[in-house]
Amino acid sequence: MRVLTMLILALVVAGSAAAQADGIFPFDYRLVELDNGFKAYLIRAGAPGQIAYVSIVRTGSRDEVEAGKSGFAHFFEHMMFRGTDKYPNYDLITSRIGASRNAFTGNDLTVYYLVASNEYLEQIVDLESDRFSSLNYDEPGFRTEAGAILGEYMQGALSPGRWLDERVRDLAYDRHTYGHTTIGYEADVRAMPEAYDYSLSFYRRFYRPENVVLVLAGDFEYEEAEQLIRQHYADWQPGYEAPNIPEEPRQPATRRQTVRYPGRTLPVLSINYKAPAWSASNKMAVATEVLGEVAFGSNSDIYRKLVIDEQRVQYLAAGFGLARDPALISINTMVVDPDDVPAVEREIQNAVNEAREALADQKMLDDTKSAMKYGFLMGLETAQNVAFAMIQPVINTGGIEAVNEYYRTLDSITAADIREAARTYLVDSAKTVVLMVQEGAE
Amino acid sequence: MKRLALISAGLMVMVGCGGPSDTVTLEEPDSPFIAFNIWLKVGSQDDPQGKEGLAALTASFLSDGSTTQDSYEQILEKLYPMAAGYGYNVDKEMTVFRGRIHRDNLQSYYELFRNALLSPAFKQEDFDRVKSQTMNYLERSRRFNRDEELSKELLFSMAYAATAYEHPEEGYVESVRSITLDDVRGFYDAYYTANNIVVGVGGGYPEGFAEQVRADFDGLPVGNVTQPPAVDPPMPDGFRVLIVEKQTDATAISLGFPVSLVRGDPDFLALTVANSWFGEHRNSFSHLYQVIREARGMNYGDYSYIEAYPLGFTTQVPPTNVARRSQLFEIWIRPISLTAPGNLHDRTLFATRAALRELKQLVDSGMPVDTVEATKQFLRNYTVNWGSTITRRLAYAIDDEFYDYPGDGYLSAIRPGLATLTADDVNAAISRHLQYDNMYIVFVTADAEAMKQKLLSGEPTPITYAGEKSAEHMAEDELIASFPIPVREENITIIGINDVFERR
Repeated sequence: MRVLTMLILALVVAGSAAAQADGIFPFDYRLVELDNGFKAYLIRAGAPGQIAYVSIVRTGSRDEVEAGKSGFAHFFEHMMFRGTDKYPNYDLITSRIGASRNAFTGNDLTVYYLVASNEYLEQIVDLESDRFSSLNYDEPGFRTEAGAILGEYMQGALSPGRWLDERVRDLAYDRHTYGHTTIGYEADVRAMPEAYDYSLSFYRRFYRPENVVLVLAGDFEYEEAEQLIRQHYADWQPGYEAPNIPEEPRQPATRRQTVRYPGRTLPVLSINYKAPAWSASNKMAVATEVLGEVAFGSNSDIYRKLVIDEQRVQYLAAGFGLARDPALISINTMVVDPDDVPAVEREIQNAVNEAREALADQKMLDDTKSAMKYGFLMGLETAQNVAFAMIQPVINTGGIEAVNEYYRTLDSITAADIREAARTYLVDSAKTVVLMVQEGAE
Repeated sequence: MKRLALISAGLMVMVGCGGPSDTVTLEEPDSPFIAFNIWLKVGSQDDPQGKEGLAALTASFLSDGSTTQDSYEQILEKLYPMAAGYGYNVDKEMTVFRGRIHRDNLQSYYELFRNALLSPAFKQEDFDRVKSQTMNYLERSRRFNRDEELSKELLFSMAYAATAYEHPEEGYVESVRSITLDDVRGFYDAYYTANNIVVGVGGGYPEGFAEQVRADFDGLPVGNVTQPPAVDPPMPDGFRVLIVEKQTDATAISLGFPVSLVRGDPDFLALTVANSWFGEHRNSFSHLYQVIREARGMNYGDYSYIEAYPLGFTTQVPPTNVARRSQLFEIWIRPISLTAPGNLHDRTLFATRAALRELKQLVDSGMPVDTVEATKQFLRNYTVNWGSTITRRLAYAIDDEFYDYPGDGYLSAIRPGLATLTADDVNAAISRHLQYDNMYIVFVTADAEAMKQKLLSGEPTPITYAGEKSAEHMAEDELIASFPIPVREENITIIGINDVFERR
């Protein structure tokens, strides 16, 4: 395969490291706070001459509470490139700057970024503050963009990963908005052209200074950057309206479903549990992330047994990264022999039982902490990567101070904490099992 | 040894030369990272007939297998606390192994990385695991994951039929099925030799380290690898169309033709400017993007290329270490679906016609001076992003060795090259290298036969919109909808998705 197939691609747990004497975060930074609630973190890091300007909106598909509006946070991300009265053609200006710029949307976030030469800092502050406070687009442009969204939806609709993800969420959640994917339901995506007025209210409610955090990383002077930010963002009017996100009720019993994928695939078994919300200080939350690596990561006993020694599965992937609200943690595996699926599921259940009963090996725990620390540090190479590493603490807490706190908590995690996390969260009543098989191949 | 260093402005300069350039170093003493890039002068073009995919499977096996020092499990266990790994990339003419490590862990990491290449254990169970994963990809994932990537691979396969570039790097289902551990061992012995390897080391490594790495790789036997001649694919005679039948609600489209220039040729930068304006990868600066996506909302994006750009959907910056002596001009129209009422094949052909019509206008009219200047300004800043990490800078330096790129290398040559480039240069390059009369086109779509009949009928294929459009817009649409795609029935091939890349 062409991708640089790393033995260990990346740790499943995001935003990680182990504590050092004065905290793991290796850079100086300055926090600029405005009266309207806007916060900007200025981090001097990365290569000479470059800056990464990353605006993090603490709104994502999690905030899509109204029926028929799934996928709207992502749609709105596209509209942010449609210009303002002052700068009607956003693309023209960023292309003159030669900025690498894009955006992405997830469950809990919408992130906009530009990476450019630092000689354009003033222009970028002006451009970005302008579109966040004064976006203006007309209905025909809105309708045209809706077509592009449907195109984006369709190009991945039948990829097995997304197809399965839709079904897992649908089965696992009763009320919380994590029940739908970020791209949204197809019917909702098709109805988007009619939602112009709703889009304006979306902008009015969520694109407010209290709900957006800027991370500027790179090569710049603190004084100049702070002065520019104060000058350009101070007039942005506050008015964020937090959505009323429904709480997911406690799940009473295991849920189980077999789904038939309309393409070719080996069976994929997806085993999911309900996890706590992300926290930098809550030991049970951090221990849950460690648990995923220790019990199901690329160095775990079950990984070795199923993937390497017995080669009964094509892969085994643990997804134990936590989210802003309680979300799913998962163990996904692709089984080579369809008849072996029940036995593979029993193997995974045995590993769950083991995690609930026995204490993890101390070397394994130490190695995992080390892996999480270096996973974080290895990611801090460019200005863009430094800024991106701040996304998780920002979406969960509104600031980057949680980075050092997270790694201090990690350092304190014991084998007993991990066992307690397994006993608390890897329980049958909170389990959702989805088996994806090839249509007609049973 | 060729030595490159990073000076404070971020530019690479040569600071010393001497001996054969079998080692590329890129020293950045303040960096906490060290990157490796080991280039073997072998690629899928060297796969024996009937064993297509052998170069890729060999690299995969080395990257994911045991060594005589450590079992694969032990390797994973040792890499784990460093949060590190290593990987490979096999292209038509190149194989590279790449890795990156924090300086805290350099020595223990390097031993694992080196052993993987120098002392593989050739265990049958490792081979079985890697081959099984590859077969799963060939039989299922390649056909049922990303139609747009598949359409690109098919375009290359069409354009390079009967050449050493024809088969996909990963091979065919039948050819890989026939590969044995002995085949892999034989391939390793033939091509993984001391004099067929260029060692690349970059970042904050200690004094003497690069020399140590080179000396280690010089421990391999000396071999006798001869480079095959460069492939020279013919221009298609008119239009050649491949339609892949697949149950899908969206059509993937790729089109293109061979161009006879590669990086380092006198026209290369001029054509880079033309291509950037016409279709800069995943950038709204792309004119095709403006026409098909921005103005018409037909899909997610539309781009063009003058160098191979595999896995474009995963990256915004150009892939490295896919250097080739032959290239295609390629247009990528991302999947077209029913984003407004109408017929999927009408929309597919409308988007294809729009792209062909824009290409014709570019070839016939060239680029005006102000557009060339705006594109130069864009590229002047934008290309700085291409060398953002030590891994990428080192990979570009390796590619410079492949192309025998003069001076300080390709990345360093872009800005000065743009400064002296004129609109006349750009337009002359367009005239010399681009055309619209001969074309390979690939569609992956449902009901291929209906698609074929629609294409042959030559009927206009108008589209509808979810919103109002101006009279001017609709007038242009009428021209697009009837833009000719001159293809004869005997030049249209249909195959089923389950036959794609089954065998040569």
